[in-house]
Amino acid sequence: MWLRTLVFHFCQWCNNSSWGHGVRDSVWLFPFVEIFHLLALGVLGGTILLLNLRLVGFGFRDEPLPELTREVRPWMLGSLAVMFVSGFLLFSTEAVKMYGNIGFRYKMFFLFFALVYTFTIHRKLTTSDETRVSPVWRWLAAFVSLALWAGVGLGGRSIGYV
Amino acid sequence: MWFVNLLQWLHDTPFSITMRESVWAEPIVETIHVLTLTLFIGFAFLLDLRLLGVCLRRRPVSQVLHKLNPFLFVGFTIMVVTGVLLFSGDPPSFYSTIFFKIKMVFLVLAGLNVLVFNATIGRKVAQWDMAPETPRAAKVAAVISIVLWVAIVAAGRAIAYDLPPPS
Repeated sequence: MWLRTLVFHFCQWCNNSSWGHGVRDSVWLFPFVEIFHLLALGVLGGTILLLNLRLVGFGFRDEPLPELTREVRPWMLGSLAVMFVSGFLLFSTEAVKMYGNIGFRYKMFFLFFALVYTFTIHRKLTTSDETRVSPVWRWLAAFVSLALWAGVGLGGRSIGYV
Repeated sequence: MWFVNLLQWLHDTPFSITMRESVWAEPIVETIHVLTLTLFIGFAFLLDLRLLGVCLRRRPVSQVLHKLNPFLFVGFTIMVVTGVLLFSGDPPSFYSTIFFKIKMVFLVLAGLNVLVFNATIGRKVAQWDMAPETPRAAKVAAVISIVLWVAIVAAGRAIAYDLPPPS
């Protein structure tokens, strides 16, 4: 299948890249990048949790949801960017191995849907008056968001074990 | 040394042995510990960013404190419980790495920072609740908090690299 070949070649290219070599060959660079990945996880997860809690009516209720979204969004996007860059660097140190890692595959699967969901349905909900949507849908929307991101997190955690 | 003996005693308790030898216990507890970073570090940083005046600026500081505190409390409790469980799996090994000691010292400092904040500028929060510029003392507390928690996460990660190989 051409897609599979393309992805595999991409992994090989990352594996042999200068940054892949650089992080792999350094004793302290991998843990160093990992710490950025963890800290950005905290901020990204924190902002997503906050928005979802607000979506179902916990905390900051007297502030319109779109305002809260506008305030935390730069931090969410910023930490997402840090996640991407640090994650890509970590990936590049053993990209070919990651290609065959089932935990990593699950992580990418959930990441794809988490991103699509966050920037479409979830974005729409958190940037408009949420009271026009029934609580059932809001709970469901928050649950789907947390479930998708939890899938990314758990997939990531499992990479080292599978 | 009584302390080393105590750690050795802990190490030989049935609970510690179970924690160490179970296939699932350590990965599950560690996963909870890592993913609770979202709740604890994420919310702690949001609070610090509010104290710096760069996030949630339209909310009164007292309200941000009030709303985030229950979550911070829950997050911190989960962190401590799972952290103690991880430690109990092999106390002497944890104690042998410098990063564990650094982490514990920084945790105490982070606690002191909260106490000092609450006893000083935090007590007068009503006076600067909606001030366009938060007081310098509040910013200092926020920067100290961020620096300490970054160091605590970094030291925590370093522990795993520095633990002696299981015997």
